[in-house]
Amino acid sequence: MKKTYLILLAAAVLAGSGTGCESNRIPDQQAFAAADTTTKPTTVKVSKEVLSDIIQSIPSPLEVSFLIKDMGVKYDKTSLNSLSNIANYNTNYRKALNLGIYSTDLGYANVYGQTQDALNYVGSVKEMADGLSIGQFFDFATIKRLASNSSNLDSLLLVTTTNFEKINVHLQEQDRANLSILILTGGWLEALHLTCEVVKDHPNEALRERIGDQKVILGRLLTLLKYYEADPSIRTLLADLTEMQKHYDKVQVTKEYKESTTKEVNGMLQVVDNSITKVTVTDEDLNNISASSASIRSKIIN
Amino acid sequence: MRTASKSLGAFLVLFFAGSVAFAQCEADKFTIKCMEKLATGYTFMKSYKIDGNGGSKPKVEYSYVFSKGTNYMVTLANKDPELKGMSLSLYDSSRRLVASNKVDNKYFSAIGYTCGATGIYYLTFTFDETQDYCAAAVLGFNSKK
Repeated sequence: MKKTYLILLAAAVLAGSGTGCESNRIPDQQAFAAADTTTKPTTVKVSKEVLSDIIQSIPSPLEVSFLIKDMGVKYDKTSLNSLSNIANYNTNYRKALNLGIYSTDLGYANVYGQTQDALNYVGSVKEMADGLSIGQFFDFATIKRLASNSSNLDSLLLVTTTNFEKINVHLQEQDRANLSILILTGGWLEALHLTCEVVKDHPNEALRERIGDQKVILGRLLTLLKYYEADPSIRTLLADLTEMQKHYDKVQVTKEYKESTTKEVNGMLQVVDNSITKVTVTDEDLNNISASSASIRSKIIN
Repeated sequence: MRTASKSLGAFLVLFFAGSVAFAQCEADKFTIKCMEKLATGYTFMKSYKIDGNGGSKPKVEYSYVFSKGTNYMVTLANKDPELKGMSLSLYDSSRRLVASNKVDNKYFSAIGYTCGATGIYYLTFTFDETQDYCAAAVLGFNSKK
């Protein structure tokens, strides 16, 4: 196992160091010069540290896939974005959002051990990434090999998160951090969509709360997107997500603070947060959030 | 000859400058150690480079949105097997300390944390009693109750 990690990390590092040469050969400015409003640099400059910190703080959509699977809910391919939609994505704005969406779908398929679907989604991710001229940051041969077996998930995640971090740095250096934010937004929206779809057929308090909890993440994403609202495509997305936020404003979160307790278990420190929180999402709130996410996603994928 | 010497000189300067920069903090090798420390059932989620820039940066902080009901684990590693002096403090969105890896002067290399409230959490790494300003951490999660 240790050896596998070493090889994978080395592969990821090598893939990263190789990208420098690649990116010199294929200047991003050229690649982004296609007619696409998202590619135009905005006048607002965000501190790299702030941007990077917020991007890093957005949780992995994979958490939701595990949560759904651990609840015994069956794999549902029909909830995912169809591979046949790829041809529709002809702007960087759509490619970035759908790169995020397909990445979430890839993770979902992998968590469920759906090897063929996972491999198909690797292909979609590659196509979107290549279209954005960031394909050189992905070691697709390694990713494909790892995606073919769900027991390799940790290694797959290490490689993909390392790659994504390199992409973030690269896009920031190129003044194209808006694309990083769109990738994140697409990934988050797909995870929200999957959760909403599951709740419809499997009403569950934990999932309902998880949907309500997305209020925090939506707030962070809006903060990021607002930096780029001069871009007409992002302005439209921002308006849609701001509408969704109005539904989230009705979600009530109460917290009763209690000190956490700590104990040592097998040489590891185990901390339990004893605070009690209650996230209240009414049926109406849930329906509105679900409809809103479906509507925004539909605009992005179709 | 003079040109050759200059070129050699420039090469050596660049080579050693590169070596020094590279030697500053090779956190990747500690990431492997951190991953190995993740307990069974936890899925790797994120790795963090903890680079104190040779001591000029006493604190390195990252934020992450934790979700209620999820079990998280943070593992740490640096050159020292006992991790002496490498401290992790976890603060909630109100900047209240909810967990620390330092208990009775012992530095634990792994903390498990069961989140009670969804929100932004701050993972703050400090170099308390160490001259080694390079480490790595890994965040994993487990959604099972």
